[in-house]
Amino acid sequence: MEDNNEDRELRELFRQKLENAEVIPSASAETLLMRRLGRREFLRFNPSRFNIWYIGGIVGTGILLAILLSSGPDSTEKIKPEEPSGRTIIDKSSDSADITAEKPAIPDNVEAEKRIRDRDTAVAADIRSERETTDNSKNSTLTGRNEIIPSAGVTGTVPDKDLFRETASVKDKLQGTIQPVEELIETSATDGCAPLKVKFRNKAGSYDACRWTFGEGIYSEESDPERIFDIEGEYKVTLSVFEAGKLRSVSDVTITVHPKPKARFEISPENAVIPNDIIRFVNYSSGAVKYLWDFGDGNGSEAYEPQHAYEKFGKYNVRLVVYSEFGCSDSLVVMNAFAGSGYFINFPNAFIPNPTGPSGGNYSAKSDEAAQIFHPVHSGVAEYQLRIYSKLGLMIFESNDVNIGWDGYFKGHLSESGVYIWRVSGKFINGEPFTKMGDVTLLRN
Amino acid sequence: MMSDQQIIEGCAKHDRKAQQLLYERYSRLLLGICLRYAGDRAEAEDILQESFLKIFFNIKDYSGTGSFVGWLRKVAVNTAITHYHKNLKFRYHIEIEEYVSVETGISSFEEDFFTSDELFKVLNELPAGYRMVFNLYAIEGYKHKEIAELLGIDTNTSKSQYSRAKAAIREKLDKLGKLKSRYFGSE
Repeated sequence: MEDNNEDRELRELFRQKLENAEVIPSASAETLLMRRLGRREFLRFNPSRFNIWYIGGIVGTGILLAILLSSGPDSTEKIKPEEPSGRTIIDKSSDSADITAEKPAIPDNVEAEKRIRDRDTAVAADIRSERETTDNSKNSTLTGRNEIIPSAGVTGTVPDKDLFRETASVKDKLQGTIQPVEELIETSATDGCAPLKVKFRNKAGSYDACRWTFGEGIYSEESDPERIFDIEGEYKVTLSVFEAGKLRSVSDVTITVHPKPKARFEISPENAVIPNDIIRFVNYSSGAVKYLWDFGDGNGSEAYEPQHAYEKFGKYNVRLVVYSEFGCSDSLVVMNAFAGSGYFINFPNAFIPNPTGPSGGNYSAKSDEAAQIFHPVHSGVAEYQLRIYSKLGLMIFESNDVNIGWDGYFKGHLSESGVYIWRVSGKFINGEPFTKMGDVTLLRN
Repeated sequence: MMSDQQIIEGCAKHDRKAQQLLYERYSRLLLGICLRYAGDRAEAEDILQESFLKIFFNIKDYSGTGSFVGWLRKVAVNTAITHYHKNLKFRYHIEIEEYVSVETGISSFEEDFFTSDELFKVLNELPAGYRMVFNLYAIEGYKHKEIAELLGIDTNTSKSQYSRAKAAIREKLDKLGKLKSRYFGSE
């Protein structure tokens, strides 16, 4: 009952004083808030204010216009996306032609097959002619382009030649999966967990300069750069190779970075008593599908929220490793998970016995303000054994009750002033054992 | 002087002036709430900013019925809970203080014996988990079951954390009370 009253009083006190308490925010809080608000407003769609949607609109229209303008006239120079495909084909054929002048160029055949599969067998002849064209031009000044090929390749065998070419180029543009292009980039990985470190290698052979772009305005001009992707997402990495002051080819590869899960847990109950309490591990992890627990005593679990009973008190490091659906992992270890109980036992280093006679050693914090009893300050002590020895090694006091200290008397006589040695051992209520030793000076007045 | 209704309508249109007025009118009250849930002043102002961003962008969710202040209060409390969850991982870095021997020296609290500043400080010094539960239960008036859901903990954990929080607060108030009565002689 009294507890309830006290509880209500405490609640009333805080409610009265704090429920409607006002605190004046600092000026910087307002400036900071207004700045953050400004940024958020800028990202929000709002037709009456200049914001990112306007910029997006302007940029979008610009790109649309650029595409319309460039695809309008059938000029070869302006269709950039097709340039790499044309060029790389030439690269390939010149490479292979160098080595295999008399043998059939295998990569070309493979490639031809791919194209046949993709499109139509009727085109096979055309591809052969395409290859011939590129072969022919291998020693010339690299002007061979897709656009030239049809004119050279129109042999009358494929009536809808132009039609096919259009669809092909559109397809290439849309999907960006032009086979030869990818082959200029070699990566150590194309997907993985954040932070993902990827080594890139430029396989272009000889060239004047190259430029890698990794998105977000980050680029490198090294041949084989290395990059760490910290944030999850899909990154389009492009490699532009320059030769004789001109763009020779553009390749790209997509790097997929998976998010990292977060391992978090709490141990319940707090200040657990071991081995009596069954320990529950409360899981606060996120982004994970698999959980591996190590309770630190040789046992483990794969449950989401396992329970575990420890056999005896000890230093247990509890570890949780979580895995996401992509196999990314995170872990959290709570070192010495059950030691943070805050239980303690400490002894003073001097005391002044009451000279008028033995007291029996009972004490309380209040009754012993004059430090007449040698006793510990303690919390959570369950088992206790204190022994006090003289300098000669004679045991002159023993207590198995933490509430009984030494009054300084031995067999009814007040002991000599001087240094005495003590040793204590026992257990706290959570099962954690303790042992301490020290000396205490007996003073007489 | 704009009425609350006008300010709400202005904020719904993302009118900068109305937003400013809303902030001027309610930031002190909300900071009072945030400070109860935070470990210090800086953290409280962080939560305050988050709360106001939520308020500005979700003001359409306010149905118009019920108290507007109540709605604002709720947003601030929820933001504080989200903030607490975000920082959960760091809780293990906090030394857990010793709250065992409670000799209840104070059996009744005289009104106005403690200032609200002192009470804020007492709350700020509590471990985060205790503070959350105490605030939600004692001041906001949630039930332990609701608190358990909000914080993602067990109902019993909520109860035990509350009683521990109480013991810790009592001890702090006791110390503070002794100190004060020694200096001011008012007991």
